[in-house]
Amino acid sequence: MRRSWSHWARAVAVGAVGLTLVAACSGRSTTGGGDADGGTVTLKINFWGDFGLQDLKTRYEAAHPDVRIQLNSGEYNAQHEDLQKKLVAGSGAADIAAIDEGYAVQFRSQSDKFVNLLDKGAGSFESKYLPWKWKQTLSADGRTQIGLGTDVGGLAMCYRTDLFKAAGLPTDRDQVSALWPTWDRFIEVGQQYTGATGKKFIDSGTNLFNPILGQQQAGFYDEQEQLRMDGGPKVAFDYTVKALQAGISAKLVSFQADWDKGFTSGAFAVLACPAWMLGHIKDTAPGTEGKWDIAAVPGGGGNWGGSFLTIPKQSRHVDEAYELLEWLVQPEQQIEIFKKVGNLPSQPALYADPAIAEFKNPFFTDAPVGQIFPKMAQGLTPQYQGRKNGPTRVNVENVIRRVENGTLKPDAAWAEAVKEAEKASRS
Amino acid sequence: MPDTRRLTWRDRLYRFDMRYLPYLMIAPFFLLFAVFGLFPLLFNGVVALRNYELDDPTLPYWAGLDNFTRLAGDEDFWNALYNTFGIFLLSSVPQLLLALVLASLLNRRLRAQTWWRVGVLLPYVTPIVASTMVFSVFFSRDFGLANWLLGPFGGGDAPIDWRADKLHSWIAVATMVNWKWIGYNALLYLAAMQSIPRDVYEAAAIDGAGPWKQLWRITVPMIQPVVVFTVVLSTIGGLQLFTEPMLFDLNAQAATGGPNGEWQTIAQLIYKVGWKDLNLGYAAAMSWALFLIILVIAGINTWLTSRLSGGRT
Repeated sequence: MRRSWSHWARAVAVGAVGLTLVAACSGRSTTGGGDADGGTVTLKINFWGDFGLQDLKTRYEAAHPDVRIQLNSGEYNAQHEDLQKKLVAGSGAADIAAIDEGYAVQFRSQSDKFVNLLDKGAGSFESKYLPWKWKQTLSADGRTQIGLGTDVGGLAMCYRTDLFKAAGLPTDRDQVSALWPTWDRFIEVGQQYTGATGKKFIDSGTNLFNPILGQQQAGFYDEQEQLRMDGGPKVAFDYTVKALQAGISAKLVSFQADWDKGFTSGAFAVLACPAWMLGHIKDTAPGTEGKWDIAAVPGGGGNWGGSFLTIPKQSRHVDEAYELLEWLVQPEQQIEIFKKVGNLPSQPALYADPAIAEFKNPFFTDAPVGQIFPKMAQGLTPQYQGRKNGPTRVNVENVIRRVENGTLKPDAAWAEAVKEAEKASRS
Repeated sequence: MPDTRRLTWRDRLYRFDMRYLPYLMIAPFFLLFAVFGLFPLLFNGVVALRNYELDDPTLPYWAGLDNFTRLAGDEDFWNALYNTFGIFLLSSVPQLLLALVLASLLNRRLRAQTWWRVGVLLPYVTPIVASTMVFSVFFSRDFGLANWLLGPFGGGDAPIDWRADKLHSWIAVATMVNWKWIGYNALLYLAAMQSIPRDVYEAAAIDGAGPWKQLWRITVPMIQPVVVFTVVLSTIGGLQLFTEPMLFDLNAQAATGGPNGEWQTIAQLIYKVGWKDLNLGYAAAMSWALFLIILVIAGINTWLTSRLSGGRT
């Protein structure tokens, strides 16, 4: 009997500990936001790559002693998927979540899950933004604005001057721009380069397809959400297959380890460069400083990428988050980001600002990036990105990769691309 | 004659201890299972009958069996099912056979016995993401060690592109799975083998049975319950294969398992449909289908294994 007493007591103790553990794990952590310690508010910002926020964070925190900023950079797709999961789950999203234009339609259709920035007074920004940029995150009825634009892509062509020199090609940026007024000429230059050096000219077929598609009037979908493969996609796809048949592609998969290695090893000599790509090259291959330069892209202006900052409704510090968001998109901060990582602001008035207009990027042989990219951004026709844009792009890119790895004949590729795109549009 | 005295506090306690405490002690498992196992399973079933497309909230709430009928005609689903079974066969069969051989070797008298036995478990404790990353480089087209090793034997001039066709990619993924699980299964077998009396082997040896015959005629039948257990375990694991095929893809986030879905498994497809295509209802229907398939296959496997290894049911 005595034994059974202690037995019982032990069981209760074990049970109690177990329950406490379960409760502790399931309960919403009250210290997570850091609200407890002396009234400070912690604002979490989720983004990918390099948004150039490190120094801004320090400055903002110094000016607002009650605010702490937590920067959380992750992989591009993973960040968007994470945000989507948190929106479904109903909690856990960052106070400020960055989204890219490729995902804008997806999140815009769930505008009830985001703070309507118009309610916070963001309407005053409308006149400052590129009109198409403003519309990209505006809900269909025009009543809810879920995000404020940070940067736009613009397009240019980055190239390696040392490799061009070795191949007997000109290295001066104007002469290089003159080499390729059209994509046909661009592919010919590529053949010339590959013929002279035995090395590959471009990094991958998909990184030819995407910028060319970005230059077309229409993307995969029209505004009625109908798949239109015969317009823009056909043009971009034909050039891509032509380039692959010319044998000038290094067949790398972008944003993967081998691709990053390619920047340092000289596996390719040119790369389509939206403004945000400059930061990526600089971060990935710091050793190649001074070997790069920037020329015009064949075929005129176009856009590839560009981001927005949103505030999910789940944020428990909406007011503080909006204050920070508003501060981040002010001219002064936008110019600083541009200088730091190359991201081109989406407020056209800033392009005339001497701080941008006269800025030269030392990493890229002092290329006048403040002239090149704004010209592209202003001259472009905005393209509607449909609801199924993401999956459709993945499927068509996969067809290109199959041509690249030799498992699909180039003549059969277009029919296959159409089939795959239709599959994605129904997904 | 029944005792009619009132029960004392101590008696009640005793009765509680004997009768109810065991249930109380095992209850936490069932509570946790209900919360984290049963509820998601049932909720998943409900979602499978719904239209749940994140980017299109205008659809009607209930979809009925639409998601399931769509499944029947979805070539991606059948392709993924085919891949999953292909990789499953290429991994489970060699894996369990090699584990058996390895275990019978470890069961002999060896120098530094413990060292070897712990050693075979090392792949199992390696984080799966880390080892897959290494294998991903190992099977790379241009600079991969696999192609370098195969070089002297290879007939063709071109290096094998391990990610370009089904068979090569299956072999690559199955290799990762095997590497991780052979040692683990071997230790399970070894534990069972330890309980087989030595004199059975001695008698068999006198009767002229060699090591190979001893393995198949004595060891396997005598550890049959463990064999069945490992077969069920590897069936469940094999049909849910996710991390290895996912990270083997150069463009891992897309979850397509190769440009033409060469090695896309069902678990990967479910992830893609749910989080890339944002169709949670359809993904739920797929999960349910996978659940049923696993039940059926595990059943067939158990039956087959017990048949093959002498049916000691």
